[in-house]
Order: sequence, then C-alpha cells, then structure tokens
Amino acid sequence: MLFHNYKYAMKTLFKNKPLIFWTFAFPLILGTLFSMAFSDIEKEEQLKTIPIAIVKETSNQNSMIINIFEHLKTGEEPMFQISYEDEKDAKTLLENKKIDGYLILSEPLKLIVKENGINQTILKFVTEEIIQTEEVMRNVVALEIEDKNMLTENLYQSVYLKLEKWKEENQIELVNISNKNLSYTMIEFYTLIAMTCLYGGILGLYLINQNLANQSANGKRISVSPTLKGKVIITNALAGYTVQLIGIALLFFYTICFLKIDYGENIFFIVLLTLIGCFAGLSLGIMIASVFKTNENTKTGIVIAFTMLCCFLSGMMGITMKYMVDKNIPILNQINPASMITDGFYSLYYYDTLDRYYFNIFSLCIFSILMLALSIRSLRRQTYDSI
Amino acid sequence: MKNVIEVKNLIKEYKNIKAVDGISLEVKKGEILGLLGPNGSGKSTTINCILSLLNFEKGTIQIFGKPMAPNAYDIKREIGVVFQDVAVFEELTVEENIDYFCGLYINDKRLRKQYIEEAIELVSLNEFKKFYPKQLSGGLLRRLNIACGIAHKPKLIFLDEPTVAVDPQSRNNILDGIEKLRENGATIVYTTHYMEEVEILCDRVIILDKGKVIANGTPDELKELANMEEKVNVEVDSITEKQLEEIKKLKNVDEIYYHNQNLTVIYKKGKNNLITLIDYFKKESILYDKIYSERPTLNDVFLELTGKELRD
Repeated sequence: MLFHNYKYAMKTLFKNKPLIFWTFAFPLILGTLFSMAFSDIEKEEQLKTIPIAIVKETSNQNSMIINIFEHLKTGEEPMFQISYEDEKDAKTLLENKKIDGYLILSEPLKLIVKENGINQTILKFVTEEIIQTEEVMRNVVALEIEDKNMLTENLYQSVYLKLEKWKEENQIELVNISNKNLSYTMIEFYTLIAMTCLYGGILGLYLINQNLANQSANGKRISVSPTLKGKVIITNALAGYTVQLIGIALLFFYTICFLKIDYGENIFFIVLLTLIGCFAGLSLGIMIASVFKTNENTKTGIVIAFTMLCCFLSGMMGITMKYMVDKNIPILNQINPASMITDGFYSLYYYDTLDRYYFNIFSLCIFSILMLALSIRSLRRQTYDSI
Repeated sequence: MKNVIEVKNLIKEYKNIKAVDGISLEVKKGEILGLLGPNGSGKSTTINCILSLLNFEKGTIQIFGKPMAPNAYDIKREIGVVFQDVAVFEELTVEENIDYFCGLYINDKRLRKQYIEEAIELVSLNEFKKFYPKQLSGGLLRRLNIACGIAHKPKLIFLDEPTVAVDPQSRNNILDGIEKLRENGATIVYTTHYMEEVEILCDRVIILDKGKVIANGTPDELKELANMEEKVNVEVDSITEKQLEEIKKLKNVDEIYYHNQNLTVIYKKGKNNLITLIDYFKKESILYDKIYSERPTLNDVFLELTGKELRD
C-alpha cells in the first residue's frame, strides 16, 4: 500500500504542469535571468587590483606617502599595483590604459587620471585622505617625529579604515584576481536555492489538500477508505520531498554546468543544508494546507507570496535589503527560512568556521518542527464539523 | 432480513441550525434504499455522518451490526462511496484513477487488475481507459466517479446523487450499472432529487425535508400518501364554466384545475375514470387534442406532505 500510494503521488506530481513549472522551470528561468542581469553589474562594480604609477620628482620627497602606497600594495588583498616611472612614461602608460592613474610626488601632491571610473574614484579618495591625514598628523607630532615608521603605520591605518568604511557605504568589494571569486551575485543564487526549497511547499500543500476530507473530493474518498490517514500523508510527503530534491538537483546541475556558478567545495554541508531547506519548505506547505481554511488556489498564492517575501528580505532582489534587515531588524532574518538557507550557504562560502552554518541548520530544524507541530492538530482530525 | 445500517435519532447541527433532525433509518441487506428530498433536506449530511466524515451531536450509527467510527477499518473495507462531487485525479488516466482508489482497499495486484477490468466494463468505459478526466464528457466523468467508488466490490454502496448533470444516455448507463450491482448482492443507499430514478430503482424510499424523515415506505406505499388515485390531463379547445362545474360533479372527481386550455382532473379513488370523462366530452361535443392519465408520483406525495415541489 505504501509503495502504491507513493507511486501514484509521484505520478500526480510529475503530471501536474503548474506544480512542475513552479518547482522545476521557474527557478531555472530565474537563475538564467540572474546570470544575465547580475554578471554585467558585477563586472562594473567589482574591483581588481588598481594599476597606478608613481612619479618621483626628487629622491627624498614624500617617502611617507610612498610608504603608505607600499602598504596598500601588499597583503592578502592588495589594493594597488604600483610601478615607479618618470612622468613621460607614466603619461604613455595612462594613454595606453596600462594604468588607471599616476601620482606626481610634487608639492602639492598631484593625481593624474584620464577617465571616470570606480578605480579612479578610489585612487582619488585614497590620495585625498593621505594628504589630509598626513597634514593632521604632521601638525600633531610636528615637534617629535622620531619614529617615522609609526607615523606611516598610523597614516596607513587611518586611510585604510576610512577606505573600508567608504567601500561599505558604497557596497563595493575589492577583488583580487588570484583569490576566490568573491561575488555578491552568489547571494542571489543562494536565495534562488532558498526559493526552490521553499517552493516545495506547493508540493506539500497540493498533496495534503488531496488527503483532507474538508479540502477536496479526493480527500473525502480517501478518508472513507480503510487506510490509515497517517500512512497516506507520510507517503505523499515523501513523494513531494523526492520531487523537490529532483528539482533542486536539476537547479544545481544547471547553474553549475551551464551558468558556471561556483558553490564552493563543501559538498557535504551544501547537500545537508539543501536537504533540510527542502524539508522546511515542505513543512511550510503542509502547515498552510492544514491550518488555513480556504481553497487550494488561495493557499498556493499564500505559499508563493510568503516565499517571495522571504526571498526578497534575504536579498533576492538586491543585497541591500539583506544588509538593511540585518542591520535594522535582525530578528526578521533570524525567523525567515529563506534567510536561514541563504545565510547558511553564505557562511559556508565566506567563513572558515561552521558556527554560523550550524546555527542556520538548527534554526531551519526548529522552523520545520514548528510548522509540523502547527499542522498536526488538523492532520490528526478524522471527523469534521462541516465538509 | 438482516439490517446492514441502523441509524437512531441522528442529530447534526450547523451553528444551531439542525441539518439532520432526529433521523432514524434502517437499511436491509440487498435492498436499494432511496433517500429522496430537495436540495438542503439533509440527504448528503446524513450520509456523511453515517460514514464518520462529520461529527454529529446525537444519535447512534451501526453498520453490519457494529458501531461506525472513523477508525472502524474493517467496516470501511466493505463500503464503497460515490460522492456527489467527482473525486478523481486530473493527472491520472481512467485506468490509473480506478487502480489508485481500488488500491486503498485491495493489496493484491492481480486481483485488483481483475476488479478494475470489471469496474470499467460495468460503467462501459472500455474505450476510454487511457483517457484523462479532462478528456471525458460530464457523463463519462460521472461513470468514472462511480467506477472509482465501487471497483473494490463493496457490500454496501452509498451513491450520492450520481446522475446530477448527466445526459440521458449516461444516466441510463449509470442506472443499469446500479441494477447490476444489486444483482451482485450489494446493499445500496441512493440519494437523489430525481423521483423518476427512485421509482425505477428503489425497493424502499425515505423522503426527507428540513432534516426530518417525512415518509418511509415502498414507492407504492408512499404513493398512497398522495391522497389521490389518478390524475387526468386534457388539452381542450374550449370549455364553459358550466361544463367545468359539471365535470367537478362527475363520479370520483376530487378537484379540477383549468388554465390555458389545459384541464387537470384529480380523482381520489375509483376505476374507469378516464372513460367517464371521455364520454362526457362526447356528450357535450367538447373538442380535445390530447388526453392522458397519470398515476400519482412521488412528487405528488411530496407536494401533499410539504405543500411544495421536490425541485423547489
């Protein structure tokens, strides 16, 4: 009986075109659109190391500034790639677009750029900050500048911190081509996976509706049969879960093979998060099917609207929303299942420790248990006041 | 004869309105019981209570001598239900739908296959096995609905208005199928508001109105409640007031109605009433186009008992 029910539940799901569209096709279409739309934006907003030249007019001039730029060209994420040229060569390099600008260490310091762009803006920002901060610090320690290295370090820290703040305010990430390809487009794909997981709710909803006597004619027929209601519901939920996993596997396959998305190397953790995310989506659908007293179309609308809202808040339509919610109403993202899934992937990708990942896994489990607990009262009912 | 269903003093309320008001009924083994009543009379509610789908306020229900309950699986195994709303999966073919619902009762795959064939044969859907429900006409869909409810060969079958919105051909097919089920020994509870079907099919009829049993008996027994023997309808060219008064005084005539050249004469008793009326028309040289005599119908019974028509 279990296999009989499972087999037919699978058949009904795979032959139901609207369900297949929302759980299979829609995520693929959205993923393709994301890939087309965000890749261009990202190209514009991502920064590689900025090539510049420094023109020294005299040998001792502004060694402090040189030191600061030297700081900024080292480390794990070097901001500048610096070459020392005479003014003529620097000009030629700029004309040939080999560098984004050059500095003439004259008094006052001069910055020459040719185009308007984010690299030029950063270069200008850094130069201005260096000039201002250097002047302030020179005044403060004018009498005793014994430790020049310390002064340089202070200057560097000041400029660096201001630059980081500026980048955060303008949502710009510096990307080193040799490092992992950090990309906030990834957030969009994480939310896409979250959405696909939560859309499994539509499957859960459909299958549960077909089993409740007060929701469908089929439910009435199943309720008068000598079959344990729990058995039918569990096998149906299992079928819904299977279809959902096939859908998500298809999404991974498509985004990895065709859209060239890199989800990182933690395959086990990615699979675990996806499995639990799908379960959370399914339990959401079961809850809405069993608790809400309205027709199936309205319930489907509720699942879709809720899923889209959750994904929107977790950054699907722009990462700014995720930052805003995290900053102003963090609790909202802590109870948002889409955010739990997105943040779980995000933490796997960006953090070395798994604390945040496990927190999200735990939150998703609590969410699923809560949804199922809310459903149980309705699902256990065998007779109704009205049908 | 042994009772298959015994319902005693069943009361079901919706927000203080009694949908079923103290109904008691018995269904004997092998009989077809018709539950007749207008929309909202409590037919479907009574069946849903008997099937343990609905809670009810008072009363007892026994099926096959055992109390009916939601978890009375041994009883449910012997019951087949054809609901008023078509209950099939749009995504499954005719054959798959019957197999799915039959599979809820019968585990043996081979036996199930045989039962499915027989059910398809019974409702004459052989040519439509691989069709999806949306490819079927309303009548064929109703037949599929019946096949899904009875494929597992239940001993007790509830048919809740199975012929609503069905073309005459499909209706005849469905009624033939129900006759065959009876011949195979099934006990049937048949609800409808089509009195003709009840008269053709049912051994016994219970008439419901406003949640109460207002009559219970065989169709012939019930017709006696109509308080009339015969109704004669005549289309006359013209007739005077005096002639109408004289017709009213003819032997056995109880009432007459005349409207738009249609004359209806109701007799409470007696024989050869039609001949007497024709003789009067000849004597008075009254010209008429059509003349026919009717026995009372269950609708007349309902009219007599409630003052309204069954389909009101």
